Amino acid sequence: MRVQFDKQLETLNIELIKMGALCEDAISCAATYMLEGGKNLLDKVFQADSAIDRKEREIETICMRLLLQQQPVAKDLRTVSSALKMISDMERIGDQAADIAEIMKYTEEFNVPSKLHIGDMARATIQMVTDSIESFVKKDYNTAIAVIKYDDKVDHLFAKVKKELTDYIAKDPENGELYLDLLMIAKYFERIGDHATNIAGWVCYSITGKHNSSIN
Amino acid sequence: MSKRIFRAICIVACIVLVVSVSLTVGVLYTHFENELNYEMKSEAQALAYVMDKNGIDFIEEMPKTDKRITVIASDGTVMYDNSVDDITSIENHLGREEVSEALQYGFGESSRFSTTIAEKTVYYAVRTSEGSILRISDTQYSLFTIIMGTLQPIIVIIIIMIVLAAFCASRASKAIVAPINGIDLEAPENGKIYEELAPLVTKISRQNRTIREQLEEAKQKQEEFLVITENMLEGLILIDTKSNIITCNSAAKRLLNSDVPYDHCCVLILNRSTEFSSCVEKSLAGEHCTEVLENEGRFCRLVADPVKNDGKVVGAVIVILDITETAKREELRREFTANVSHELKTPLTSIAGFAELMKYGMVKPEDIKDFSESIYDEAQRLITLVNDILNLSALDEGGLSDEKESVDLFELSGDILKSLKIPAEKKNITLELQGKNTTVMGSRKVIREMIFNLCDNGIKYNVDGGNVTVNVIDDVDCAKVVVSDSGIGIPKADRQRVFERFYRVDKSHSREIGGTGLGLSIVKHGAVYHNADISLESEPGKGTVITISFPKK
Repeated sequence: MRVQFDKQLETLNIELIKMGALCEDAISCAATYMLEGGKNLLDKVFQADSAIDRKEREIETICMRLLLQQQPVAKDLRTVSSALKMISDMERIGDQAADIAEIMKYTEEFNVPSKLHIGDMARATIQMVTDSIESFVKKDYNTAIAVIKYDDKVDHLFAKVKKELTDYIAKDPENGELYLDLLMIAKYFERIGDHATNIAGWVCYSITGKHNSSIN
Repeated sequence: MSKRIFRAICIVACIVLVVSVSLTVGVLYTHFENELNYEMKSEAQALAYVMDKNGIDFIEEMPKTDKRITVIASDGTVMYDNSVDDITSIENHLGREEVSEALQYGFGESSRFSTTIAEKTVYYAVRTSEGSILRISDTQYSLFTIIMGTLQPIIVIIIIMIVLAAFCASRASKAIVAPINGIDLEAPENGKIYEELAPLVTKISRQNRTIREQLEEAKQKQEEFLVITENMLEGLILIDTKSNIITCNSAAKRLLNSDVPYDHCCVLILNRSTEFSSCVEKSLAGEHCTEVLENEGRFCRLVADPVKNDGKVVGAVIVILDITETAKREELRREFTANVSHELKTPLTSIAGFAELMKYGMVKPEDIKDFSESIYDEAQRLITLVNDILNLSALDEGGLSDEKESVDLFELSGDILKSLKIPAEKKNITLELQGKNTTVMGSRKVIREMIFNLCDNGIKYNVDGGNVTVNVIDDVDCAKVVVSDSGIGIPKADRQRVFERFYRVDKSHSREIGGTGLGLSIVKHGAVYHNADISLESEPGKGTVITISFPKK
């Protein structure tokens, strides 16, 4: 029985790593498209998003089966329950990457003003997602804490971008729509950062059994 | 084992106890019965004798005992009974076995069982001289009743015996097992053991030796494997069917820029990119798979192959090759080919254009001279370019004859400066040669090409009225040629790249200045050919100093 249980836990771990990697792909493709262009990148984002949705169902099934058949306790229970919570955050990351791609798909001649800090924001968010997945993969408490703390930087950058965009709209009302789209994209990045924080939080929970409300 | 021995001893003890107790009781019972019968017999005879002498009254006056005494007349009527008061109520006793026996033979005995009280009544009758019968009867307890009566002490004794047996059994079993437990499994032949265990012990010690030898061998193999894999430049990862790492060498960790947090972890912890996981999946599905993985600016080729045993996939091997250099070189080569085609095409297009115009007679006769001059210039340019490329590829291929001769750098520089006099004068540039005669071993042709290119560049990228100085220095361990100019200089950002083929700092004016963009590349290759060092110092707007240091062997 225990052998079967271990096997199922292992599968769960592998599938979560794969789902995390898909999230990283989705967000980095979306950001690269925004900053550098490249047509097939958008398709990759949509593909990754649907792959993430499929993976979510798959992992959900694995978790449910684990809960029903093995009735895990203690650390195993934390692993399974945090996996259940994590996949919904990952799924949201995939959705938001797809949303970003969707916005850019319908915007002709997408030129991001180079002075705008949205590029930094994208990079910071990708870093957060990568690190949160990394902390899960390596079960590394310190990395997870670092991700949670890093979220402040992304929030700060979002405030900065928001301010910059209001200036741009005031100066160049012709392209107002583009700037509003950019604002939405920035907001999505900020949300993705929050989800990465959540994932890191769940990693902390699965390791220590405590919610890091003090840091959160 | 000690438990089994203990149990066996206990069981034996219990069986012996039960059997001996029951046998003893049986023997004792028979013995007591006989004794009792004998006693009654003598008692009856004594009483009969007393009654003969003193008459029946004497018997009637006797105090009552627990034995029943009955006097029966010869006709069977009971004359006296010490346990019954009303003797008339007693039936005729003539039919009783013991009575009739006594009447017939003088004495008689019988016993009757009362099943209800589990007692046996023994009767003993004696005929007196008067002819009447005296009968004594006594109840005798059956074996069962005796046992029931003495049950308590018997049980106590049995319990004490069992406890004693258990104690002894436990001591004995421990004593038997102790030497077996005491066998040193590492060296079982030492120490005293039972004779019966000797073959087993010999076998164990033989197997111990085999195991030690095999362990040693396995360890050695493991070490060999480690030495081989750790010294490989290529990353090597071995995984099982559940994609857990079996081994992973340090090169793999370095190339993937990751670490294994714990033994036998999932391989995806090392890297979780799509390329890597698809390699893992495909190889575990039994297919060969190659992918190129980009990881923080480095390119790695992943080659994954399944490991099969009896046609079943039991794992996979992933080899990681660092192809960053190859990828970069590939890119440079592509760039070079594109550049060469472009550089070759430009003069040819002009030549074809001019020629076409002349062919259709669209050029005035007086202009033909200009046109031919242009065609000639372009053709010259092409020739120079092709020559440069040929030089460069000769250096590239190492196809130069290895004949090295002693070359006097000072003399050679003087020659070169002389040949550059005309273009220098056009730009009013002063040429100067300093230093003294210094010889190095090398290919005269290549060194000439190198210094010529440096001086030529010095003149080409110079300002009007500038100067170019060649200084030949004979140092302790090297001979240096320092070419300095007062030209436009090279910006910091371009300094790394000027030695690349076709790289131009100022791309827009290259045609006016001329040159092929291969000059410094030839210098660099020449330096590599001679194991010489090149250093470049420059300040935009002020000039450039390039030093070639030829080592003196």
